[in-house]
Amino acid sequence: MASVKIILACLVWLFILVFWGTVAQVDQGLYAAQKRFFYSYFFTVFGFIPLPGGQLTLWIMFINLVCAGLVHFVYKWSQIGILVIHLGLLSYFVAAFVTFHGIEESNLSLPEGEGSNVSSSYNEWELSIWPDAEESPRHVSAYDTNHFKENLRLNSTGSDFSIFVRKYFPNAEVLRGQDLTSLALNKEPEKNLPGGIFEIQTAGGQSIPFLLYGAASEATQIKIGQNRFDFALRRKRYPLPFTLTLQDFTMERYPGTETARSYQSKVKIEYDGISREVLIYMNNPLRYKDFTLYQSSYAIDEWGREISTLAVVKNAGRLLPYIASFITFFGLVVHFGIMGVLKSKSRK
Amino acid sequence: MVKMMKWENIRDKKNTRKLFFWAIPFLLLTSYFLLPTKTAYSQAFCPLNNAPLNPQQVQSLESLKKIPILDEGRIKPLDTYARNLLLRFSGKNSFEKKDAVDWFAQLLFAAETTREDKIFLINNSAIPQALGIDPEGKRRYSFAQIEPHIQKLQELARAADHIDEKKRDIVENEIIRLYVNIELYAELSLNFAFALPHPDFTVSDPENLSKLDLPKAQEFSFWDLASRAQSLNQLADLLESSAPNAWNDRQKEIFRVMQNLFQWGNSYPNLPLRIIPSYSSKDELWLSPWDAIAQDSQEPRSLEEITLLKDLVFAYWEGDQLKFDLAAKTFTQSVNGRLKEKKLKSPGALDLEILFNRLGLFIIAQIFYFLAFFIFLFSFVISKSWLRLTAFSLVSFGFVLHLAGLIMRSIILQRPPVSNLYETFVFVGFIAVLAGIIIEFIQKEWLGILISSICGFIFLIIAGKSSMEGDTLKMLVAVLDSNFWLSTHVLSITIGYAGVCVAGAIGHAYFLQAIFKPKDKEKLISIYKILLGALGFGLTMTFLGTNLGGIWADQSWGRFWGWDPKENGALLIILWCAILFHAKIAKIIGPLGLAAGSVLGIIVVMWAWFGVNLLSVGLHSYGFTSGIALNLAIYVVIQILFLLIAYPLAKRKND
Repeated sequence: MASVKIILACLVWLFILVFWGTVAQVDQGLYAAQKRFFYSYFFTVFGFIPLPGGQLTLWIMFINLVCAGLVHFVYKWSQIGILVIHLGLLSYFVAAFVTFHGIEESNLSLPEGEGSNVSSSYNEWELSIWPDAEESPRHVSAYDTNHFKENLRLNSTGSDFSIFVRKYFPNAEVLRGQDLTSLALNKEPEKNLPGGIFEIQTAGGQSIPFLLYGAASEATQIKIGQNRFDFALRRKRYPLPFTLTLQDFTMERYPGTETARSYQSKVKIEYDGISREVLIYMNNPLRYKDFTLYQSSYAIDEWGREISTLAVVKNAGRLLPYIASFITFFGLVVHFGIMGVLKSKSRK
Repeated sequence: MVKMMKWENIRDKKNTRKLFFWAIPFLLLTSYFLLPTKTAYSQAFCPLNNAPLNPQQVQSLESLKKIPILDEGRIKPLDTYARNLLLRFSGKNSFEKKDAVDWFAQLLFAAETTREDKIFLINNSAIPQALGIDPEGKRRYSFAQIEPHIQKLQELARAADHIDEKKRDIVENEIIRLYVNIELYAELSLNFAFALPHPDFTVSDPENLSKLDLPKAQEFSFWDLASRAQSLNQLADLLESSAPNAWNDRQKEIFRVMQNLFQWGNSYPNLPLRIIPSYSSKDELWLSPWDAIAQDSQEPRSLEEITLLKDLVFAYWEGDQLKFDLAAKTFTQSVNGRLKEKKLKSPGALDLEILFNRLGLFIIAQIFYFLAFFIFLFSFVISKSWLRLTAFSLVSFGFVLHLAGLIMRSIILQRPPVSNLYETFVFVGFIAVLAGIIIEFIQKEWLGILISSICGFIFLIIAGKSSMEGDTLKMLVAVLDSNFWLSTHVLSITIGYAGVCVAGAIGHAYFLQAIFKPKDKEKLISIYKILLGALGFGLTMTFLGTNLGGIWADQSWGRFWGWDPKENGALLIILWCAILFHAKIAKIIGPLGLAAGSVLGIIVVMWAWFGVNLLSVGLHSYGFTSGIALNLAIYVVIQILFLLIAYPLAKRKND
């Protein structure tokens, strides 16, 4: 397991995977190609021949590296470069693992003057229910739609009705306002709009079917017994530990062209009683604890209001790749520096 | 009468603009139906009264070169604009041995004289066929040849435009390109129409003439009359004294002139020659002469500047160098004064750019590199020690020019010179030459000279070919506009590319040495060691560049690595180098194998460098692509053939 031939085979296979995955992105889109080639353990060709995916290959490389480190590596000062390089590479594997399993990416679109303390997912959806009353704070029950399937029962705490999923399609189209057909998944997953037909069964035996669609702009109100509830199928919300308000958005173009020169958002961030103003623009994100907020894009709505979209990334392992880069690069410089000196000595 | 180049289609696209003429709206309303209207475009223009049909022209256009113009978001001298225009139309930046600015001046001031100039390059022979034009050997066509078929060209271009950009055929892209160029040509020719006499503005009634303070009865220019707006307005009062159908000749003349002024003033909005900075202190937009006439007629400086431009045109026609230079210089001074107020470009930077244009540093450097290579070849025939020194000096001299060019570009643009594909070619060539010089210092046996001369020459040639799309001194899109990351990430990765390419070049040298001089074992080992060094250097710098790219991505977009085509490309280079080194450690390949691997490494670099741009997905697609795919494919085939022949040969001779 420590053999250099294994790592060589892995490197060659990874090379092929990276090239293949890159070319596949043209047709399949970035997201699908990433999932198929790089995040998977296995993927199939021609429908049934299995091939190792990126994750499997990287795991084998990681194990091989650890074994080689224990068995093969020569621990001498002349080899210090090589040792540092591979220590750095080990850190990359750790960084990749932490990021892959821990990262949460979402976005936040704010029209000028408005604020929010939740961000929306790019690709994931939820079924949300809340009582249609003027209470504040509002209590929302949300169910991730990832595991929705026919006749699934959604458990709701503290209410006298249950919800069943009758039909759910991750990308759907509404027919005549009453029924849904399933559509093929879009290459760009953000463009998928799900739809579902659900059924409420009350304790009193009443059965209320209703349809929810991802593109609906307002929640559906349903009266159950004496109470009214709002139901919505919307992008998954992530609560943020702060409130962000967009005070002003500006965009500059190069004169006489349509090319954007810069965009920036002036926001106010509030948390723990602290309130301060921050400027977010290209190459200058806002950082707070594990969160980083970047200026992502903008839009102008039908009333002419400017809406700034910020990308929200929660990643506890954000700095790990930086450390790995530094170590590995240092190792490379040391190693080739040593080699250079040794070889030129041997020439004389 | 010489026919003017007007074109119906320009009007289709443009919006209506503010009235220049703030008088007489009611007159037009009533009499619009009574008198025949003449559209401005179907008219011809005549040169100065009784002057010959060709302008005398002036000897020197130096003062014209210095006029600033706003193009693609950047303030540049007219010289650069003219060169790029000609390059864009014809693929060359000179015409019939004259400077681009000479031809450009003709286009601006006496457009008719350029009708027969064969300046429109049509790359694909299918297009002249489709349009019904006789094909030319040199693939360049004049406006006169294309004009009769403009309707057809427009049809084809519109149809091609409807097709999604990624799905267009090479012919369709070329049609669109030609159409856009023809439009640009026509629009540019109209910029100074306000200065030239035209029958639309004939004034012959003696009382009108005296009221307007004009000499004798003749055709006047738009500007002659527009600049006398107040007097004309007073004359307009006369029109109220009787009903339109009872006007005498004098009144009819007044009306006709005013109507033509109104129409002309509205006909040419948004022409591309933006040479007048807006008069408002906050606005960064620049105006074409017609826009300035339409918009800022209240502004006294506008009156002066337009008059100066008119003087420029006249001086050009009369061949009066003194007047021409005076008009150009005064105009430039007035404009520069405003730029200074707004804290925009300084005249010094413009002069530097004109100098840079004229020097053509990279072309000269190319020649030196080529000569050095030639001497290398020559050294096989005659073996003298001073040949090496000569070749080395040539390479070094070329290097100095190469460096000077890069420095000038950085100053002109105020950023590191690696922000578009063209610049990366120039820069990688620069590093490769530097690497070769260093190798030569160490080894002193021609290897370095060979590397420098070949790499320098080839990269500059490729750069030259990729500069055809227009001005290579471009402004940056928002995401790239960061001097820090440009200087760190992009510089290090291009240095990495150069390192791996140099290793590939050394690999070639290794093969040739192994085949032709297998007995010289020492030399072979020496080349091998340098090969390892180059590969290690390339790997280290590419690795650094890739990681800085990841850090930049994390700082800007929130993720260090996204398996994006460009990131993957860089990773491929790193993986390839790692494969070679690990294969060496595993003793699966020896020096010959490594040499072969380095040669293939060049292909991996090309893929990462511009092969991925062909795929156009992800966050990294801001380069240009046409023509690359074919050249890349041809290169790969040639390289593989080389290895198929050289490897067995070398193996046999060295065992």
